[in-house]
Amino acid sequence: MNRTVPVVAGLAGAALLLAGCAASPAEGDASAEEVTITYSNFISNGGNEENLEAIVAAFEDENPGITVEVTTLPYADYGTALQTDLAAGSVADVFDIEYANYAAYQANGVLAPLEVSNPDAYRPSLLEAYSTDGTSYALPSSFSTVVMFYNADLFDAAGLEYPTADWTWEDERAAAEAITDEAAGVWGSHQPVSFYEYYKVLEQNGESFLTDDGTAVAFNTPGGIEAAEWLVGKSGTVMPTIEQGQGTPDFDTNLFLEGKLGMLHTGIWMFGAFADAPFAWDIAVEPGNTEQASAVFSNAVGVSASSEHIEAATKWAEFLTSSQVMVDTRLDAGWELPPVADEAALATYLEKDAPANRQAVFDSLDGVALPPVVANGQTEMQDIIGEELVEAQAGRKSVEEALASAEERINAVLAG
Amino acid sequence: MSILAAPQAIAEAAESAPPTRMPAAAPRAGRSRAARVRYALVVLAFLLPSAIPLALFVIGPMIAAVWISLHDWNLIAPMRFVGLDNFASLLADPATGDVFLHTVGYIIGYLPLVYVGGLLLALALNQALKGRSLWRGIYFLPVVTSWIVVALVWRWLLNPSTGIVNTALAGLGIDGPGWWTDPAWAMPSIVLASAWKDVGFVMVILLAGLQAINPDLYDAARVDGAGPWRRLWSITLPMLSPSTFFVVVISLINGFQVFDQVYAMTGGGPGGASQVVVQQIYDLTFRYGAAGEAAALSWMLFAVILAVTVVQIIGQKRWVHYV
Amino acid sequence: MLLHAVVIVGALAMLFPFAWTVITSITPGAGLTLRPQLWPSDPSLEAYATLFAERPFARVVLNSLGLAVATTVIQLVTSATAAYAFSRLPFRGRGVVFAIYLATMMVPLQVLIVPLFAELRAFGLLNTYLGALLPSFASAFGIFLLRQAINQVPRELDEAATLDGAGHGRIFLSIILPNIRPALATLTIFAFMGSWNSFLWPLVVLRDPELQTLPIALAGLQGQYTTAWDVVMAGSVVSVLPMLALYLIAQKHIIQGVASAGLK
Repeated sequence: MNRTVPVVAGLAGAALLLAGCAASPAEGDASAEEVTITYSNFISNGGNEENLEAIVAAFEDENPGITVEVTTLPYADYGTALQTDLAAGSVADVFDIEYANYAAYQANGVLAPLEVSNPDAYRPSLLEAYSTDGTSYALPSSFSTVVMFYNADLFDAAGLEYPTADWTWEDERAAAEAITDEAAGVWGSHQPVSFYEYYKVLEQNGESFLTDDGTAVAFNTPGGIEAAEWLVGKSGTVMPTIEQGQGTPDFDTNLFLEGKLGMLHTGIWMFGAFADAPFAWDIAVEPGNTEQASAVFSNAVGVSASSEHIEAATKWAEFLTSSQVMVDTRLDAGWELPPVADEAALATYLEKDAPANRQAVFDSLDGVALPPVVANGQTEMQDIIGEELVEAQAGRKSVEEALASAEERINAVLAG
Repeated sequence: MSILAAPQAIAEAAESAPPTRMPAAAPRAGRSRAARVRYALVVLAFLLPSAIPLALFVIGPMIAAVWISLHDWNLIAPMRFVGLDNFASLLADPATGDVFLHTVGYIIGYLPLVYVGGLLLALALNQALKGRSLWRGIYFLPVVTSWIVVALVWRWLLNPSTGIVNTALAGLGIDGPGWWTDPAWAMPSIVLASAWKDVGFVMVILLAGLQAINPDLYDAARVDGAGPWRRLWSITLPMLSPSTFFVVVISLINGFQVFDQVYAMTGGGPGGASQVVVQQIYDLTFRYGAAGEAAALSWMLFAVILAVTVVQIIGQKRWVHYV
Repeated sequence: MLLHAVVIVGALAMLFPFAWTVITSITPGAGLTLRPQLWPSDPSLEAYATLFAERPFARVVLNSLGLAVATTVIQLVTSATAAYAFSRLPFRGRGVVFAIYLATMMVPLQVLIVPLFAELRAFGLLNTYLGALLPSFASAFGIFLLRQAINQVPRELDEAATLDGAGHGRIFLSIILPNIRPALATLTIFAFMGSWNSFLWPLVVLRDPELQTLPIALAGLQGQYTTAWDVVMAGSVVSVLPMLALYLIAQKHIIQGVASAGLK
C-alpha cells in the first residue's frame, strides 16, 4: 500500500503542469461569418437582466452572424471571478470593469486597444477616463454621480434656507449644526468616512490625493489635513459615531428615510429607494470649500486582448455603450445614466418624478473629481486610507497621525 | 473481554495499543504471497475511491500553490520567478505576525467555549426531555443560518450604545465595552458570535458519540453504586473521547482558517485589529495582486496547522480511548 | 425542571436571528434597520414572489438540491470505505497516508481556487455539474468523522464475523455500517450542508445562469449600490428550510439507528 504515495505525487505533478500551462488563450473557431462572443457582466445583476437582454437582442438583429453570450455575476464577487479567469486564460471577449481597476488592467496588457468608430457619441470626460496615451482601452457604459440629498421638512422646521449649488462647507456645517438634535435622534449631515469621500473632499479643498506623476501621495499637507478634519469631524457632532452604528450597511439611508437626517451625501442610485419617503426632499450639488468637486462613478467594458474576435467584440462594446437602444432602455428603466454626449437625449431623465432638481445631476458634472488610480496597489491604497481615517474618526489617532501613517504605508505600497 | 465489566473495559481501552497496531485483521507474517497481494487489493479497493479525487483535486492544486509561492504573480501579468523572496518578505512584514496572533487569539477564546457549550447541550439533549428533537433542531438553526445574517444580528446585539447586551450590563451598573467598534474587543465579539453559531455543530457530533456508548456500561456502573457525577467522569467522558478528539482536531483546523465571520462582522477592523490569516490570503490573492505572497502565506499556515495536528495525534494516546 | 428552563432560554437566544430573518422577509421594502420590528405593520409575501419571479429561482433551487444530494451520496461512499481502511485494514505507512488525508483540510480553499480552476479548464469541465462536484468527491472531514466512529465499534464483532468466514466486504457492509449509523447520519447533514452553502467554487466554475446555485443567486440580490433586504432575507429563509428539514429527519435516524442496530 506504499503505492499510494508515488501515485499521489504523480497526479499532483500532472495538476501542476496543467496549472502552469493554463495561461494559453482559448481555442475557438475562427470562421468569419458566424461568430459567438462572450460578455461577462455585473451591471445587469440585481434587476436589469431583462434590460440587458433587450440590448443584446437589438444588437443581434442589427449584426446578423454575431451572437452574444451573456454571463451575469454578483457585483461583490465579480472581481474574484474575473481575476480567476484572467489567471487561467478563460476570460470573456468583452467584460465589465470599474474605473478604479482600469489602470491596473490596462498596464498589465489585459485590454485590447479599441478602434472606436464614433468617439463623438461619448461624453468626452468619460471617454478620456478610459484612454491611455490617446488610445481607448475601454468604453464607458454608464455613470452615476454623488450629490447632497436633503430633507426639506427638517430645513423648514429649523427655519433654514434650502441648499444651493453655491453652498460651501461652512454653509453645510451651519445648517447641520442647526438641525442636529441628539436627544431626538435627529442628525444634521451624513457623509461616509472612506476613500471615496476623501479624495473628493481633497479636491473640494484644492488638494489632490496623489502627486502629478502618481508615484506618491500628496494629501499630507495643511489643506489635506483640513479636508480630513472636515470629513472625520462630522462624526459625533452632526453625524452619529461608529459606536452608534454609523458605517453599518444602509445605516445612513435608513436614517434619512426615517426623517431623522437633514443632509445625506450619496449617489443618485438612491432616487428609487427614496421615492416614497413620507417627507419632502430634494438634491443639490455637493458643497465644496475652495472649489466644487463631485464624485462620478462609472462602469465600462473592455475587450480582452486575447480575444479571437476583437472586431466583433468591439462592435458589441460600442453598441452596448452608445446605441440609441441602450439610451432608451436605460432611461426607461432608470438604470443609471448613459454615457452619451448628447444631452438632449437625456431630456426625458430631467422630466421624471422626484427629486425636482434633477438638473443638479448634470451640474455636478461641471466639476468632477475622479478617483486617484495606480497600476499596482490600487485596492491596498484604498484600504489603507479608509482604515486610517476610521482610526481618526474613532479618536484612536489624531487626524495628523492618521494621515502621516497613511502616507508612509501607501508610499511603501506604491514603491512596490 | 466481557462488555459488561465496565471498569475493566475502560481500563483496558485506555491501555490498548493505538488503532494503527491492532491485531484483529492484520495479515499474519508467513502468509502466502497470493494472500498478501489479495490483501493489498482489498486495501486499494477501500482507499482508491477517496485517494484519487483527493490527489487530483486537492493535493495537486496544493503542490501547484508551492510553485506559485516561488513567483511574483498578480494573476494578470505573466509569472516571474523570485525564489524564496515571498517567504522572506512575509517574514520581514510585521503584519504576518499580527495575523497569526489574531488567529491564535481567536482559537484560544473559541475552542473552550464551543466545546464546553456543545458538551453541556449534548448531555442535556440526550436526556429524556419533552420535545427533544424540536430543541435539537432549534439549537442547530444557527449552524445553518448564513453568516451574513448572523453577523448583522450580533453587531446589533453588541452595539455599544443601543445593543441589548450593553443595555443589560448598564442595568447591572456595568459600563459595557465598545465590542466590535473597539480594537481590544473586536476579536472577543467575533469569538462570542462564532461560539454561539457553532455550538450546535459540536452538539451534533457529540450527540452521535453519546448515542454510540453502550447503555449496558451505565447499568453496570449503577450496580457498582456509581453516582451521576462519577458516571460522567468514568464512563461518558472516556467513551466520548474519540468524538472529543475529532471535535478538537477539526475545530483547530477550522479555527486556523477562520474567515467568514471576521469578514462579515468586522472586515478585519477596527484598524486591522481582527485581521486573520485567511483574510490576509484572500486579500493578497484577489485584491492586492500578490498571489505569490498569498501562496507563501498559505504554506506557512499549512505548516502551523500540520504541526499542531501532529502533536494532537501523538498526544491522543494519552487520553483518547478506543474500544 | 431547571434543565428544561435553561434549554428553553437558550433556545430563544438561538431562534432570535432566524425570527429576525423571517420578519424582515415579510416586511415589504424593508431596509436593514438596526431597530428590528417585532412584527411588520403590513406583512406581505411580496419578497418571496419577487424571488421566484425575477430569476430562474426554481431552477436554482433544483441545481443546489441536485448537487447537494450527489455530493452527500458520493461522500458517504468514499468516506465510509476510506474510514474502514484507516480503522480496520493495517498496512505499512498507514499513519502517513492518514496524515496526508488530514493535510488536505489544512490549506485554505482561497489559495487553491486558481490552480484548481486551471486544472478543470484543461479537463474541459468548466460550466458542468461534474466540474462543480469533483473537488468534493472525497472529504477528509467525513473520513476522519467515520474513522472515529468505526474505532468505537467493538472489534469482537469483526472477530466473530471473521470466524464465521466473512471477508472485509461483508464485515464492512453488515457489521460496521449498521453500527455507525449515528455518524453516517451526522455526515449526511454536514456533507449536504457543505455543498448547499458552498460559494467560492461554484461561483467560479458555474457561470451559465442555468447552472447557478442558491448562494450565488442570493449574492446576486445584493447590487453594486443598493440591496433589497426583504428579498435577500426571503432567500435566506428559503435556503435554511431544506437544511433544517434534513436535520430533523437525520436526527430520527440517529436515534432509531441505535435502537434498531444495538450492540450484540
